[in-house]
Amino acid sequence: MGKPTGFLEYERLDRTYAPAADRVQHYNEFVIPLKENEISRQGARCMDCGIPFCHQGCPVNNIIPDWNDLVYQGNWQEALTVLHSTNNFPEFTGRICPAPCEAACTLNIDDNPVTIKTIECAIVDKGWEEGWIQPQIAAHKTGKHIAIVGSGPAGLAAAQQLARAGHEVDLFEKNDRIGGLMRYGIPGFKMEKKTIDRRMAQLQAEGVTFHTDTHIGDTLPAKELLDKFDAVVLTGGSEHSRDLEVPGRELDGVHFAMTFLPQQNKRNEGDIIDPAISLTAEGKHVIVIGGGDTGSDCIGTSFRQGALSVTQLEILPQPPEKENKALTWPDWPNKMRTSSSQDEGAVRDWSVATSSIEGEDGKVTAINCVRLDWKQDDNGQWKMTEVPGSEFQLKADLVLLAMGFVHPVHTGMLQELDVTLDPRGNVQADTEQYQTSIDKVFSAGDMRRGQSLVVWAIREGRQCARAVDEFLMGCSDLPR
Amino acid sequence: MNRIGGKSNTGEGGELPERFKSMENGDSKRSAIKQVASGRFGVTTEYLANSDVIQIKMAQGAKPGEGGQLPGHKVDATIARVRHSTAGVGLISPPPHHDIYSIEDLAQLIHDLKNANPQADISVKLVAEVGVGTVAAGVSKAHADHVTIAGFDGGTGASPLTSIKHAGSPWEIGLAETHQTLVMNNLRSRIAVQVDGGMRTGRDVVVGALLGADEFGFATAPLIVEGCIMMRKCHLNTCPVGVATQDPELRKRFTGKPEHVVNYFFFVAEEIRELMAQLGFRKFDDMIGQSQHLNMRKAIDHWKAQGLDFSRVLHKPEAGPGVGIYHTGKQDHGLDKALDNELIALSRDALDNKTPVKIELPVRNTNRTVGTMLSGEVAKRYGHAGLPEDTINITLRGTAGQSFGAFAAHGISMELIGEGNDYVGKGLCGGRLVVYPPAETPIIAEENIIVGNTVLYGAISGECYFRGVAGERFAVRNSGAIAVVEGVGDHGCEYMTGGIVVVLGESGRNFAAGMSGGIAYVLDEQGDFEQRCNLAMVDLEPIPAEDDALESLEHQGGDLETHGLVDISHDMTRYDAARLRLLIERHTHYTGSSRGRQILDNWRDYLPKFVKVMPVDYRRALQEMQAVQAAAGQAARGEH
Repeated sequence: MGKPTGFLEYERLDRTYAPAADRVQHYNEFVIPLKENEISRQGARCMDCGIPFCHQGCPVNNIIPDWNDLVYQGNWQEALTVLHSTNNFPEFTGRICPAPCEAACTLNIDDNPVTIKTIECAIVDKGWEEGWIQPQIAAHKTGKHIAIVGSGPAGLAAAQQLARAGHEVDLFEKNDRIGGLMRYGIPGFKMEKKTIDRRMAQLQAEGVTFHTDTHIGDTLPAKELLDKFDAVVLTGGSEHSRDLEVPGRELDGVHFAMTFLPQQNKRNEGDIIDPAISLTAEGKHVIVIGGGDTGSDCIGTSFRQGALSVTQLEILPQPPEKENKALTWPDWPNKMRTSSSQDEGAVRDWSVATSSIEGEDGKVTAINCVRLDWKQDDNGQWKMTEVPGSEFQLKADLVLLAMGFVHPVHTGMLQELDVTLDPRGNVQADTEQYQTSIDKVFSAGDMRRGQSLVVWAIREGRQCARAVDEFLMGCSDLPR
Repeated sequence: MNRIGGKSNTGEGGELPERFKSMENGDSKRSAIKQVASGRFGVTTEYLANSDVIQIKMAQGAKPGEGGQLPGHKVDATIARVRHSTAGVGLISPPPHHDIYSIEDLAQLIHDLKNANPQADISVKLVAEVGVGTVAAGVSKAHADHVTIAGFDGGTGASPLTSIKHAGSPWEIGLAETHQTLVMNNLRSRIAVQVDGGMRTGRDVVVGALLGADEFGFATAPLIVEGCIMMRKCHLNTCPVGVATQDPELRKRFTGKPEHVVNYFFFVAEEIRELMAQLGFRKFDDMIGQSQHLNMRKAIDHWKAQGLDFSRVLHKPEAGPGVGIYHTGKQDHGLDKALDNELIALSRDALDNKTPVKIELPVRNTNRTVGTMLSGEVAKRYGHAGLPEDTINITLRGTAGQSFGAFAAHGISMELIGEGNDYVGKGLCGGRLVVYPPAETPIIAEENIIVGNTVLYGAISGECYFRGVAGERFAVRNSGAIAVVEGVGDHGCEYMTGGIVVVLGESGRNFAAGMSGGIAYVLDEQGDFEQRCNLAMVDLEPIPAEDDALESLEHQGGDLETHGLVDISHDMTRYDAARLRLLIERHTHYTGSSRGRQILDNWRDYLPKFVKVMPVDYRRALQEMQAVQAAAGQAARGEH
C-alpha cells in the first residue's frame, strides 16, 4: 500500500488545463500532466483499503491499489503490467473516463479521492514513451476465424483478447478509420487520435486484420460473415440518436451532434468535407440541446470553430452542488459538474424544454423554449409540467441535438441477421455468454447494453472475448 | 445500546471511569458488559463494580488460540490511562489466561469476579469448535451465569490474514453442540447462552434462537452502521472514517450517531418479529432450541453442498421431564458462605464514614477470594481512588484459600500470618498485602514457598510484601503494583507493563518474557541470572553506585523514609539504589524479614549483586516523555 499515512500528509493534486483562451485555438489535448515525482506522491495517498471500493467502482475492475503502490515505489513498468492485466487501453480511459473509481474511492467520502485517473494515464503514457508496450503475439494459433463488426473500444478490446488467445481476427469498420465513436465522436482536444493509431499498430502486429470502409449489412452482407467465420461478434455502437420532435425540426441548421462532430474530426485528420454538407459553428449562435458529454463535445468544438455564443439546454433540473455522501458513496453521484468545454464560456440552463424551432427561408433563426417544473407524483415518479407563462425565445443559427442515443441502428445488419432485440431495442445477450439469439453470433458494448462509457465497452469486449474463446475451444484462460 | 435495553461490551482494554456516570439527557456511555481478557488491561475493581455482566474472554471466534497486540504507536495518553500503562509502549495480550489452566481455575476466576460484583452476571466467552459443548458444560458447572459461543465470521479488522482465512468455525456448529450438550446434561436452564460471530440480520437471530441461543452479539454490523467501511487498517491508526482510532484529526471524520445503531437494531427486531410470525411463535423464549423448524435448503445445487449433512447440527435432544431448554434459573455461587460477609459487616463504619477499623480473624483454605467482595463495596462507593490508606486494616491468621486479596482496593491493608495459595493479589487495585509465616514456625522463610502461582496477575496498583518464595508466573501482567518477594519460580514478571518487582532471592527461568514496562530488581548472588532471564524485550543493568544516587537525592533534600510511593515510582530510569533500599526497608518493616534485615545491614556488599531489569521500549518511552516535559519546562521558563 502506498504510505499508511500518505492521505493525511499529502493534498490531492490533479492535472490542470491550459487556459481556456489558449486551448480554444486548437484541437489538441490541453491537459497538463503532473510531474513524475508528484504522481508518485499522489500514489502514496492510496490507503490499500481492506475492501477496495474502487475495484467495484471501476467497470474493468482495475486493480487500483496495487498500481498506486507500485507508482509510489517507483516501479512503473510493473505498474503498467498490472494496469494492462485488467484494461487493454488505459490511455483511452486515462483521458476520457469519468472515473467512477474516484467516486468510489474511500477518500471521496471527504471529497479528495486519490487521483486514480491521472495516475492511470501517467503509467500508460510512460509505458508508450519508454517503449514498454509491445505486441503480445500468441505463441500458438488455434486456426479459428472470428469476425468482429465495429471497431470501437468493445471491438478493439475483444479483438486484442481473441488475437492474444491465438485466434485469427478480422475486424470490420464501416468508416474509413477505426475507433468508432472514439475516432469520430470524441473531439481531438479530449483525446488525440494518434492514441488510437498506435494501438491499431499493436493489434495489427498481434494478428488482427482491419477492414475499414466495410459496412456489414450494406456493402457486405452479414450472411457472408456467418458462412466464412467460426464466430461473429457484434460490437457496433448505439448510434440511433434521440430526435426532437417539434415543429421546425426539419429546418436547415438543426442537426444531430453526430452529424456535426465527425466532420471536425475528419478535418483534423486532413480530410476535405464536401461543402454541400459541411457544417461549422463559425460566426453562429449555437444552441446545444442536451446536457451530457456529447453536448459538451459540441460546445468545445463550436468554440474552436469560432461560434459567437453557445447555449446549452438541459431538460432535467440543475443537480445539487454537493451530493449526500451517506446516500451515494461509493456509487456515482448525481451532482453539478462542469466539463472543460462548458468552462470555455457556454451558457447553461436547466429545466428547459424546446417547444418549437423557428426559421426563415428554411434556415433556423431561433428556438422557442418553456421552463419545466419537476415534481414527484404519488408513485414517487418524477413528472414534469410546463410552467405557464415561462415561454422564452433564444436566437439560434445552429441547433445541435445531443440528447442521447436510443439503441443501435436496426436497419441493415441487425435486420438482415434477424437477431432478437431486448425491450430497449438493443441486441439481446447476457453478460455471461454474450451469445445472441443466433448461433455463434455474440454481441458486446453499446450494441448490447445501449449507450455507455468507453470503459464499459472495454469490459464487455474483454468478457465477450472470453465467452467466444470458451465457445470455440471449450475452455478459456482469458480473464473475465 | 443503553437506550434500547441492549448491552454493549467494553471489549478488552478497560473503560474510562467518566463513562460510568449517566449523561444529562439520560443516556449513558457505560458499557453493561465488562470484558476480562487475558491481558487484564484496565480491569480495576471499580470497572468490575460498574458492570451488569462480567465476561471472561477465553478466546476470540475470529482468531481462537491467539493473543492480541496493541502496537506502541497506537497507545496514546488516553489509552495508556485506561489501560494503566505507558504511552508509546506496545501492549501484549497473552494467548492464555495465566490464572486458567483447568476448569477448576476457571471456576475460581468466576468466583473471584462474582465476589468483586455480586450483582453482575458472570459470562464466559468460548469459541465455536468441535468439543465446545463439553467445555460449555464445564462452564455451566463452574457456575457461570452466561456463556457466549463465538463464531469465526466478522471481527477480523486487524487480524493477520492467516487468522482470517484459516482459523475458527461457524457459530452454528458451536452453538448447536453447546445447546445439545447442556440440555442433555440438564445444565441448560441455569445458564444463558449467547452467540456471536458475524451476526447481521433478523434471520441470523432466528436461526440462532432455533439452534438454542438466548442472546445475540453483534459487532461488525453496528460498526458498519456507524460508518466502518472495512478498511482493515485498525492496527495502523489510520482509520479514514474515524472508527478504529483515537487520532483527533481522524476522529473528526466520524459521522456515526447513536440513532443509526438504534435504527439498525429496530430493523433487525422487526425482521425477527416477521419471521416469528411466519413460524407461529408468540414469544421469543418459545422459539429457543426448536431446531425442528430448520431445514437444509434443497435448492442449492453446488458440488460442495453434496457432502454436507446437517442432521447433527439440527438434532433436537430429548429433554427429560423438568429439564429446561432455555435460560430460566440462576446459578448458586455460594457467596453466602464467604468470609467477606463478615468483613463487610465489621467494616461498616469505614465504608460509611471512612472511620478506620481494625479486624482480626482466623482464615482457612476454604475461604476463597478473601477481601474481594469488600473491595467491590469500596469501589462502588469511592471508585478507583478508594479509601485513605489503612482505613480497613485486616489481620488474618491461618492458611488462606485461593485468590487471597484479589482486587483489593485502596485503603484496605491485609496482613496474613500464615501462608497464601495461588492468585494472591490477583488484580490488586491499590490495597496492601503482607504475607509472612507465624513467628513460632521453625521453617526458614526465605527458603520456603509463602504464596502460590500467578500472584499479582493483572494487578493495577498497590503494594505487597511476601516474606518467602512465590510460585511461578509471579506478577504476570502486572500493570503497576509494587512487590517485594524473597524468590520466584519460572516466568516471573511475564508480560508486565508497569510497577516494580524486587526479588531478594533466586528467580526461575524465563524471567521478564514479553515484559514491556515496569522494572524489576533481582538479587543475583550466583551471577547466573542472565541465563534465566528472557532478554527478548529487556536489558539488564547494574544499579548505579549508591553515592551518586544519594547525592542526587540529597540535592532534592531527599529523606528516604518520608518519600511516599508516588516518589519512588517517579522516575524509573534513575534513583535505583534509593528506591531499592526504601522498598527493602518497607518489606522488612511489614514482614519482619530476616533476609531483608541482612541485606540492609550489608548494603554495600549486596547492592552490586542486584540487577535491574529494564524493558527497552519502556525506557525509550520514558525518555521521550522526559524530553517532552523538559522542553515544555524550558519553554515555560523562557516566557518568564
